[in-house]
Amino acid sequence: MALPKALAPLTALALALTAALVAALWGGWAALAISLAVVAGAIVLGRLKPMGLVLLSLLPLALSSLLINALLPAGGGGAITAGLALVRLAGATLPLSLLFLAVPADRLLADLELHGLGRRPAFVLAASLGSVPRARARGVHVIEAQRSRGLDTEGSWWRRARGVLPLVSPLVLGSLAEVEERALALEVRAFNRSGSRTVLEPPVAAAWERVLRWLLLAAAAAAVVLRLAWR
Amino acid sequence: MIQLIDVAYRYPGEREWAFPPTSLAVKAGELVGIRGANESGKTTLCLVAAGLAPRVLGGELRGKAELTGLSAVLFDNPQTQLSGLCRTVYEEVAFGPCNLGLPRQEVHRRTAAALERMGIRPLAGKSPELLSAGQTQLTVLAGLLALEPDSLILDEPVSRLDPEGADVIAGVLLSLADSGKAVLLAEHDERLLSLCVRVVEL
Repeated sequence: MALPKALAPLTALALALTAALVAALWGGWAALAISLAVVAGAIVLGRLKPMGLVLLSLLPLALSSLLINALLPAGGGGAITAGLALVRLAGATLPLSLLFLAVPADRLLADLELHGLGRRPAFVLAASLGSVPRARARGVHVIEAQRSRGLDTEGSWWRRARGVLPLVSPLVLGSLAEVEERALALEVRAFNRSGSRTVLEPPVAAAWERVLRWLLLAAAAAAVVLRLAWR
Repeated sequence: MIQLIDVAYRYPGEREWAFPPTSLAVKAGELVGIRGANESGKTTLCLVAAGLAPRVLGGELRGKAELTGLSAVLFDNPQTQLSGLCRTVYEEVAFGPCNLGLPRQEVHRRTAAALERMGIRPLAGKSPELLSAGQTQLTVLAGLLALEPDSLILDEPVSRLDPEGADVIAGVLLSLADSGKAVLLAEHDERLLSLCVRVVEL
């Protein structure tokens, strides 16, 4: 099961942004409910494993927050405050994480382009999303090349850390050189032409989805206004 | 048509010219080669011929460079020529025509024709990230052919291809010239250069 079959990408984006905004503004039970709903959504969509990795990535922040709030006197609020801050953070980040896990970036961008986002901002967004796997692949190539020349990158943490240093320069310089080549290749393929771009498979939103988007926009506005009034 | 008269080019901030003053002309229906050692400036000459240097790269051009119609360039590293935005080979090949804003039907027609011409129709549904270097090069070239350019400039197009892939490229070069395109080829491969009507030495 995949989200795009149920929701148009723009609707999924509106849903994720609204949920993240509500969680960030209200925290507490709202953020907890949103986090649990996202985890449930990840199970339904078969994205539990990558979502688990996202949760794991929050672990260092969780530990440092606990340390600051609970153990250090200057930190303030104690373990409960630390827990609430974490719930708020999870509620604000998990909806967008699920969005990017479930909706292919190109479909999301196609939908955004259809709704007026220019091709350049769309490319910047997509290139950012795609840069991580490319950097990882390049890193593997650099490591293999350096290891074939005797660099030791295995063993203790200290040895691995020492092994990373010689990789930084080829990785960074290689990526910079790649940027120019990619820019030329895009220019050759008419990416910088003015005018609208053809979208091969335009995402179709049902009538109820268009209503839902407006409702989500209203909910987001209400969340902001109520939060300001509540203070 | 491509016409270079006594051109030389230097990159921004460089004092040295990237290649010596060079003249060449490629008329419609001609396949012309550039031969030169590594670092002789073949790639830069291709960028000048394609109108990318100095228009995109900056730098200084001496002499006269004329390019008529739409041109496309194939570089030697196929990985950096993928858009990074497409999930399938089909979408990758269609990327250029989509950028031109052509009607959807025309995009499909051009994409199907380019895939067929390069012999990679079976790869259409595959992710570009999963292709071999040779398959990626054929995909990128298909993407350029889908633009239906008037002139095509290729910088060492077979350097990462197996012999079968190189044969496909050789056939495509000849058929492109036969169909009236101006084709400029920078290459080490003497077998490919032997197909050219003339070869310019750098």
